[in-house]
Amino acid sequence: MRVAAVASGRRLIPALALGVACAAQGAPGNDPLAWLQRAMQAARTATYSGTYVHSNGGRTSTVRITHANVGKEEQERIEPLDGMPYDIVRRNDDMFCYFPDAKTVRVDRRVTARFFPAIIEGTPEAVASSYEVKLGRAENVLEYNCQWIQLEPRDALRFPQALCSEVNSGLVLRAKTFNAQRQVIEQYTFTDFKMGSGAAVRPDVKSIFEARVKRWITDSQPRDEAKSVDTGWAVSDLPPGFRKLAELKRNLPGRPAPVSQLVFSDGVASLSVFVEPNSPPPRTADASSEDGTTAFYVRPMGETLVTVLGEVPLGTAERFARSVARRP
Amino acid sequence: MTQEISSLMDGELGAQEAGIAVQACCASEERKETWYLYHVIGDAMRGQAPRRLAFPTQVIDSLKAQPTVLAPRRPLSTTLARVAFAAAASVATIGVVGWIGGQGGQGPAGPMVAKSDSNLQPVASTTTLPAAQPAPDLQQYLVAHRQIPSPEFYRQVDNRVPARAR
Repeated sequence: MRVAAVASGRRLIPALALGVACAAQGAPGNDPLAWLQRAMQAARTATYSGTYVHSNGGRTSTVRITHANVGKEEQERIEPLDGMPYDIVRRNDDMFCYFPDAKTVRVDRRVTARFFPAIIEGTPEAVASSYEVKLGRAENVLEYNCQWIQLEPRDALRFPQALCSEVNSGLVLRAKTFNAQRQVIEQYTFTDFKMGSGAAVRPDVKSIFEARVKRWITDSQPRDEAKSVDTGWAVSDLPPGFRKLAELKRNLPGRPAPVSQLVFSDGVASLSVFVEPNSPPPRTADASSEDGTTAFYVRPMGETLVTVLGEVPLGTAERFARSVARRP
Repeated sequence: MTQEISSLMDGELGAQEAGIAVQACCASEERKETWYLYHVIGDAMRGQAPRRLAFPTQVIDSLKAQPTVLAPRRPLSTTLARVAFAAAASVATIGVVGWIGGQGGQGPAGPMVAKSDSNLQPVASTTTLPAAQPAPDLQQYLVAHRQIPSPEFYRQVDNRVPARAR
């Protein structure tokens, strides 16, 4: 089962385990940013497979992941193990979603999609401008020695996070998001994990439905929509740390015209601002909801409807919603 | 025998075979534990693992008092999942925001599985809606934001647009 070579530190007290962690091959000493950098890089470059459980608010799902790096291409398969069958194969930023019941392959280009353990998008420096990055305690996860990396937000616009990084490879085996009351509101945790040659990942990662797709429909519309356009809308008072990742027009079901979508991220948390006509019967008052890390804020602006959805505190979503204006 | 226990759990045995399997299963402590273990694994895979695992004999006792566990599992869970999803989608509360856009729809799930030290707390979700306004369709925005359509959602799209080539 176990691939990592560090067995002796397993039952040591945390302080001593941290010492073991720092002495491990490739472990970046006591520099939190170096740990963060290595965790982010390992998620992209390492070969691994496993099953993780993701809980967010009141919901839980189980996902099998297979990840390889061939040349400069990241190859990944995501198989949700609950609900109706489907899987997602990712080649760098190209995403292929296989739906056997609909006999459809949905093709999209990654803009916001993030899959554990690669959940941090920005550079360590960008993350550090919005979060204080610290090293926490050592922990044993699935018999691997791990080091917690803590991301403490510098303001109330984002949630605190923590990543549990395996000391030899840097791979994140567990991650948590907290609310302002320090309650865990989201968690990823591997329940089964293998890396390197032990992961037995073939270098050409394919869909588990690959043999059946010959006569399937291909829907490339999502990929066509993932191109940057000028929507004419902007967020006038951008909260600190956030930058715009993309500006798109998306077709949503039941809409006569495409909806404008502006995507923002602080390197850890992302959110989308949607702008569309306030179609009849028009909304007249704000509406909001939040569950786990997901906040949702709807704000009518006369004939225009602004909707913000993202992994941020509700106040942040509201602040974005109130800053939307026509680009001058 | 483990194959029979597995088939029994999956509702794949006929009434007579199921009866034999139940008798055989309950005849040994080891098989009872297998039965228990398979349920725990199944629950964990569906994200419904209990926070603390009860002692096996207690579970077996409670199972004895609940004969409905012998009902075919697969069709039942599928139906429930679909009904739950439909309900979730129609009210469009944020309760449908699972990792992957609301697929599965098992309802409120117990936090975490074995090996986790989780102190995950089910924080109550809040929804603020003005009176006389329908709830916004959150699911569509969620799919657009996360770029992960649920198969159920996608099928709706597929039904609207006839298949182009078969």
